[in-house]
Amino acid sequence: MVDNGMSLAPPTLPEDPADALAAVGALRRLADQLEDAAVERALRDGWAWTDVAEALGVTRQAVHKKHARRLRNAGVRLRRGER
Amino acid sequence: MPFERFTKDARATVLAARHEARAAGAATIEAEHLLLALAARPEFASLGLDREALADALAREEEQSLEAVGVSAAELGAPPAGRTPRDPQLSTSAKLALHRAVAAASKRGERHLHAGHVLLGVLAAQHGRVPRALGIAGIDAGELRARI
Repeated sequence: MVDNGMSLAPPTLPEDPADALAAVGALRRLADQLEDAAVERALRDGWAWTDVAEALGVTRQAVHKKHARRLRNAGVRLRRGER
Repeated sequence: MPFERFTKDARATVLAARHEARAAGAATIEAEHLLLALAARPEFASLGLDREALADALAREEEQSLEAVGVSAAELGAPPAGRTPRDPQLSTSAKLALHRAVAAASKRGERHLHAGHVLLGVLAAQHGRVPRALGIAGIDAGELRARI
């Protein structure tokens, strides 16, 4: 298994609720950043919105609404019929 | 949100916060962006607010929170902030801070909202990124509020 810096043991939450909640918040923000990068990579690779949506377990409308304008502004070429 | 009661400097603060959020590549304008915008205002320099120090403290808070569950964002190759353009909107934390700012102004019998009230609103937070970062930066929010 490739070592990507994450522990192989299941993550344990800090004892202090404030620290535990802060960790949850930080992980959510990180997940959002990773989603932005992963969706961009998929689109640049020629993936269809439908397939990105299925990979994420959300609707095509949801992923398009969230990412299309941002990626278009970033100059990502979207497939014909996929705009 | 009674934006019509916001003075020019309060509106400028919100716009500066939006700029901070965009610069950070954030999807939403958070209370922390309001804090950074406020810290950049010369009028608050005498209170010991330093935008760079707070930006560092916020970055440290994020690192610590992730480290606590064994995650290193740098190792995961998270994209650098600001790489993709965004049009951030006010988030829950920012709206809460602004609502508290309105309450702070009312409590002081003032109808119009200044940047100082926004700072009071931001500093009122007991939980979340802002109080944690202030702690890391060694700033006593209660003591600061008393001086505004």
